[in-house]
Amino acid sequence: MTNALSVAGVELRLFLRDRSNLFFVFVFPLLLVLMIGLQFGEGARAGRVAVSGSDSTLQSALVQQLEHDDVVVSGPAWSDALDLLARGRLDVAVRVDGAAATAYDDGAALTLEVVRGPSGNAQVVEQDVRVAVDAVRADRNRLLAVTGHGVAADDAAAALDVAGRDVAAPALEVHYVDALSKEFAGLGQFDFGASGQLLLFVFLSCLAGSATLIQARRLGVVARMLAGPMTAGELVAGQILGRWAIGLFQGGYLMVATSVLFGVRWGSLPLALLILLLFSLVASGAAILLGTLLTNEGAASGAGVGVGLVLAALGGSMLPLELFPDAIRRIADVTPHAWAYTAFAEVQRRDGTLADIVPNLAVLAGMAAVVAALGAWALRRSLSRAM
Amino acid sequence: MADVLVVDSLVRRFGDLTAVDGVSFRIAPGETYGLLGPNGAGKTTTISMVAGLMAADAGTVTVAGEAMTPRTTEPKRHVGLVPQELAIYPDLSGRENLALFGRLQGLRGSELKVRVEEVLELIGLADRAKDRSKEYSGGMKRRLNIGIGLLHQPTLLILDEPTVGVDPQSRHAILESVEALSGEGMAVLYTTHYMEEAERLCDRIGIIDSGRLQAEGTRDELIRLIGGVDTIRLGGTGDLAGAAEELRLIPGVERVDTERRAATLTVKDAPALVAQVVGTATSYGVTLFDVEISRPDLESVFLHLTGKGLRD
Repeated sequence: MTNALSVAGVELRLFLRDRSNLFFVFVFPLLLVLMIGLQFGEGARAGRVAVSGSDSTLQSALVQQLEHDDVVVSGPAWSDALDLLARGRLDVAVRVDGAAATAYDDGAALTLEVVRGPSGNAQVVEQDVRVAVDAVRADRNRLLAVTGHGVAADDAAAALDVAGRDVAAPALEVHYVDALSKEFAGLGQFDFGASGQLLLFVFLSCLAGSATLIQARRLGVVARMLAGPMTAGELVAGQILGRWAIGLFQGGYLMVATSVLFGVRWGSLPLALLILLLFSLVASGAAILLGTLLTNEGAASGAGVGVGLVLAALGGSMLPLELFPDAIRRIADVTPHAWAYTAFAEVQRRDGTLADIVPNLAVLAGMAAVVAALGAWALRRSLSRAM
Repeated sequence: MADVLVVDSLVRRFGDLTAVDGVSFRIAPGETYGLLGPNGAGKTTTISMVAGLMAADAGTVTVAGEAMTPRTTEPKRHVGLVPQELAIYPDLSGRENLALFGRLQGLRGSELKVRVEEVLELIGLADRAKDRSKEYSGGMKRRLNIGIGLLHQPTLLILDEPTVGVDPQSRHAILESVEALSGEGMAVLYTTHYMEEAERLCDRIGIIDSGRLQAEGTRDELIRLIGGVDTIRLGGTGDLAGAAEELRLIPGVERVDTERRAATLTVKDAPALVAQVVGTATSYGVTLFDVEISRPDLESVFLHLTGKGLRD
């Protein structure tokens, strides 16, 4: 066992020492988590609205209301706002011209010009703007009603403010009626991207380790090890352990980094680690298999990336499995990624327990046993052939 | 003292090709045994079986009294293998490579630390110990390759063509190290296709070709085996033909051939006879301007035994 651990330690050291790995292990996965989170996560629904026009009561009220509703508000000139809309950097632009501002102050009817951009979010944000305008209008009407009864404007505003805080508004409880919405309910902005990228990069990092096995065989290092008091079984165990350690390191790093940087919730830590342990073991076996079947480091690296990306795409690491058609969803189940993905989903989104993910863990354990055994058999066979 | 290595009737076939065909030899403690043969003669295959990396189809290998097979581990503790290829991790430093293989040989803790530093000194890499081995020169890599084989102070050191592709300076250093190790009592099995190395290092030499051990013995035994004789060539002016008649009468001189300004003597032991030969020739009025002694070497032996040169 000591021999196996020595070999495993060297594999991990070589992996961390390879400078070309640094970007792809430490930086690139986090960038992808960030980009996916910004594009598709919960926070991506926050609208971007321009409120253009000179300073006025109406403009201030509208900006205040929109910001209260978590809309990102800016105040460019109208022509700039239209340009930003065209470039997709705004969802909606609202023009508050002098006439509208005066009408608002006078309590007269007014019309605001609103232009909706081409972004996918624009329709929802336009609705946010309508709600905000309605709220501003209601506030103004309440104020006019009170001041119309002879109350001073300041007193009326203060009284309405107190009333707004004291009077409980009707609470809304939204029930998702479609399965997809239910599926992603409770998921943080970066949560989906984090688990998907973890699976993608753990598998890729392990497969990248197949190249060092090929190099060790080509250089005669493996033969030299076997010329010492080390059994072929210990050598195989060391090679698998080495890649397992790489997978666990990559996964552990992503868990910690995404938690700290993006506030990703991994649910129960022991369960998340259990999923990672089994998934990494599958990847380790696959790496040994690849490193034994191929004889060229370049080919192994290329094949590793190709296989890793295809399995990740099919297994839901790039696009949520829930969006797959049923037929593809069934095919996805041949990948370890899909089983790990659904296990993470259960733990992250629904606070799943061990009982909830036992089937996933069992399948992953089965896959790990089969692939690791195949990898061990192939390596042993290649060693005995070399003998 | 019992032999460190006993190789008995080893056979290894690859399909129809018999790469090693009934090879037998023994190595005593402190002895350096050379396997001399051209590329493809079966040296590396023999070594692979001796080191327990390859199973023999027939025959046995015994190291320090224990049977060696690919599945046994105990006899491997006695063996230090220095393979022909540079079997080191290029991305590990010299010290890390030594430490790794030391651990795999069972060295631990302070013993490992001490041995690593000793070997670094021995192979002259102490000042480059922290550098990654891929940054070493070819000779330094070779020395590291050898150092790994020495770490655990094996009873039997196997060196498979350790000087291939090495610059003359490193080659000299390697040969000196091997001589020193042998002097310390380590048994050495050394394969080479360089005749000079075999002549310099090896107490006994086995000549191998086409998988068969053609002959073995000390250098002199091998030369005697082929009935090898020395020659003394005299170059000079004067009555060489007359002198030749006298020279033929010297005991040990078997034959004298003369040309216009030279005479070639075939003799049993040239160094022992050269003074008498020169004296006889000059006493006959021959003015010598050149005396050349030639003795048969292993190349001649190899040529005689196999009908081809070592580098064919």
